Amino acid sequence: MTLARHLYMRIMRRGRVIGLIALSSVPALVFWLAGFDAPEEELPALFTDIIASVGYSYAIAALILTTATLRDERDSGTLPYIYMRPIARSMMAGQSIGAGAAAALTIGLGGWLATVLAALAVGLGLDVPLPALALFVGAGIGYAAVFVPLGYMVPRSLLVGLGYILVVETILANVVTGLAQISIWRISLSIYAGLEPDFGEVATATLGPVTPGVGGGILKLVAVVVVGWAALTWALRNRDAL
Amino acid sequence: MTDTITVTDLSKWFGLKVAVSEVTIGFKPGVTGLLGPNGAGKTTLLRVIAGLQRPSQGEVRVLGVDPRRDNDIYRKISLVPEDESIYDRLSGRRFVQLAARLAKVDRPEERAQQVLETVGLVDAADRALGGFSKGMKQRAKVAAALVSDPEVLLLDEPLNGADPVQRAQLISLFRRLGDDGRTLLVSSHVLTEVERVSDRVVAMVDGRLAAVGDVATIRAAMTDKPRRVYVDADDPRRLAAALIARSGVLGVQIDRETLHIETSDAGDLARALPRLARESNIGLAKVEPVDESLESVFRYLVEGR
Repeated sequence: MTLARHLYMRIMRRGRVIGLIALSSVPALVFWLAGFDAPEEELPALFTDIIASVGYSYAIAALILTTATLRDERDSGTLPYIYMRPIARSMMAGQSIGAGAAAALTIGLGGWLATVLAALAVGLGLDVPLPALALFVGAGIGYAAVFVPLGYMVPRSLLVGLGYILVVETILANVVTGLAQISIWRISLSIYAGLEPDFGEVATATLGPVTPGVGGGILKLVAVVVVGWAALTWALRNRDAL
Repeated sequence: MTDTITVTDLSKWFGLKVAVSEVTIGFKPGVTGLLGPNGAGKTTLLRVIAGLQRPSQGEVRVLGVDPRRDNDIYRKISLVPEDESIYDRLSGRRFVQLAARLAKVDRPEERAQQVLETVGLVDAADRALGGFSKGMKQRAKVAAALVSDPEVLLLDEPLNGADPVQRAQLISLFRRLGDDGRTLLVSSHVLTEVERVSDRVVAMVDGRLAAVGDVATIRAAMTDKPRRVYVDADDPRRLAAALIARSGVLGVQIDRETLHIETSDAGDLARALPRLARESNIGLAKVEPVDESLESVFRYLVEGR
């Protein structure tokens, strides 16, 4: 785990962490502002609607963090210090995605705690925001599995990843059923929906054709992780490291 | 003694740019200097040998193994990269300990302490690397490379930024490691530097091997290169007539009071010029050898011009 710990510590720079926790907390801020004027019975639906739609800010935070996992090493010329080690490339890929996921989860935990505080502040209670942790955890792991390999393999990975979130996840996946089924945000949202049945209209519309359910969502996430890990292993074995 | 590193018909290109072209060479235990001007392909060659980049053509074997296919080879091979890049927030000690742990070395703390002593960095070891001088960073990188006790050590411009004392210490360390039977490949663009590190030199230019041999051979080849000298004289025509008869003088051009002389033996010309001028009663105002870049010298070795 030395490599994973090293990569985690390297990407979790103080300034970056503070900024990204703030970005992940945007849904909490929006809910806090909107929740004060909302009738009490509408609060659960409002909460899920805001988390499902504004929650993309967490996707962007995860993108910024996880693409940096190996890209920072390569861009700063320090990659040889970790690449030229007797570590199987499959293990290296696994530890890199693990480090990215751990970093995304740390940020996600900050964003989720902010939503819990916002829910308490407007009198929603804990029943609705607590299961939302599954959304942050699922998205953190799923995005790490995609964006860590992207950061290593693709130049301007941040721009490409942003294009994926803004164009594919928020626009195209709404109209193309197949894309919705493999959208990491929707897969994670389906796990949350499986735990919290009181979904609002916007949240249900965001979910679209994806069936709510914990088991199915987890299975899809496992598949995403396996594909990301296989792609990164291949790249570490076959592409130039520098 | 068999080659520990074999490079066969190796080429490496990036798009249209050819960085290394059809290089075939073997390296035995001991220190070998890899000499060449900036952009000659030294760094790319070292990176391909290290397995950081895959060959576009040809193959590399280190201790009989393709470094891109067998990661266990990294227990026996280390690289000191050229870039100044290093983990600025880590202390020197933590950096070397990290290298030891990633290399799966037994008792990493003890081993880190040993190599820090070897490179003379114990006193500064607990300071952040970001505050190190360039020479100290180089020594920290060398320590991290030595931590796995490698049989093959690739060093890309390791003396860059080191002060004369540090330089002497590092050179002595490299020689000692070479004498121990390890294979060291040390790149540099400075001949005198390579001369101090190693007796065997591989010269590269434009991605190709320019010369291979001992330092004396390379130096002699460089000395043979025709040199140009500008001379300001009060009677250039008479001086030109006297010079043109000499065997080492390849050509003379007159431009007003300045003679442009091309010679294959700069030393002989330097000795002959004052004597000829004195004998012919010609005044010399200025004798100026044209400064030639290392690149042009290397190009001469490759292309003979």
